[in-house]
Amino acid sequence: MNRRRALVALGGLGLTGTSAWVLQSDVGESDDALPMRVETLDAPGSSAGGVRVPPENAVTVLDLFATWCAPCEKQMDALTAVRESYGDEVAMLSVTNERLGGSLTKGDLREWWRDHDGAWTLGLDPASDLMTALGAGSIPHLAIFDASGEVRWQEGGLTDEETLRTEIDRALREA
Amino acid sequence: MNRRDYLRTATAVGIAGAAGCTGMLDSDANPNVTLGKPDRDADITSEDLPYPAWGQKVPAVSLPAPLDDRTVDLRSVGKPSLLTFFYSHCQTVCPVLVSAMRNVQTHSLNEEYADDVAFFPTTFDPARDDAERFRAYADKMNVDTDAGNWHFLRPESKDRAKSVVQEEFGVRFDRTEPDDMDRYMFAHSALTFLVNADGYVERAYRSKSPNADTIISDLEEVRA
Repeated sequence: MNRRRALVALGGLGLTGTSAWVLQSDVGESDDALPMRVETLDAPGSSAGGVRVPPENAVTVLDLFATWCAPCEKQMDALTAVRESYGDEVAMLSVTNERLGGSLTKGDLREWWRDHDGAWTLGLDPASDLMTALGAGSIPHLAIFDASGEVRWQEGGLTDEETLRTEIDRALREA
Repeated sequence: MNRRDYLRTATAVGIAGAAGCTGMLDSDANPNVTLGKPDRDADITSEDLPYPAWGQKVPAVSLPAPLDDRTVDLRSVGKPSLLTFFYSHCQTVCPVLVSAMRNVQTHSLNEEYADDVAFFPTTFDPARDDAERFRAYADKMNVDTDAGNWHFLRPESKDRAKSVVQEEFGVRFDRTEPDDMDRYMFAHSALTFLVNADGYVERAYRSKSPNADTIISDLEEVRA
């Protein structure tokens, strides 16, 4: 077969953009998998064990990230600012879908967390279950749950502080 | 019949037997692959697709593996392998593709089958992706290059990248000059291939964010 000719006619394989950080989600959203249990790590602001996602009776900011993801580093600034102003009024959780092992240890993850001023719950999702449940096809990916556990807002790509505050306030107000 | 062929046949029979209950047709089996026909429209065959698909042989190409000082013949790997196509300056899709592959590599290390699988992330930007760049990229992406199963491949030239990556593997890429950047980038399609030990494509994952657990589970069947 002449692959080049077939490519010209091809519609299914879209070309991807180059200037945006964001990927289009191509995973079907199926948040009926929620709530789920996510393993947590001993790190600044976080203790080893597990959490229910979403937590019960709390407005929650969920951040899906990975240590290799440059925009995820930037995302930590807005999250840190939100953490400082809302305090315990909102729950916060950052979760990586990286699988620990090989050249990535818990120590490496803690080091990344410290370097980027993480100060809230840090979770692990090695099978990407949480990403799948939220239909997240890119990182960073942020979601806000209201106190009844419903996803009130979510978006892939870097989110600025103002947007976060607006959406958190909305979830608090409507809770 | 050698042992591998025998086992594969036995597995295929097993799948066909189980699938019989759901009305799968005989044409959904292929003696060269372990996995059943992928979920796709009934009237689409692998021959219709612009990339090597289920049951087809991986293209007969050899590519240099700069970190190993050798050339890899993709049909003669002799163990299940994963291929994907990327360039290291990419900020969108490629890190996700490579990170999914990296998560499979880590699973192979954690579950102690690292010697039974090979990873071939292949650049289509040989002008910038050389051995030194590969080393730095592996470090950034937490890839374990000491594991011995991860082999960056690099076509010798821009033309060779076009002929192998685009024409043989059906991964289209076009150079772009974004206004907000001082360097060139690429618009490109995303594909990850699972190839069995005999050099046949078991799966072509068309996702920009392939699910590592799906790949791990498919790989487990192919390794069995």
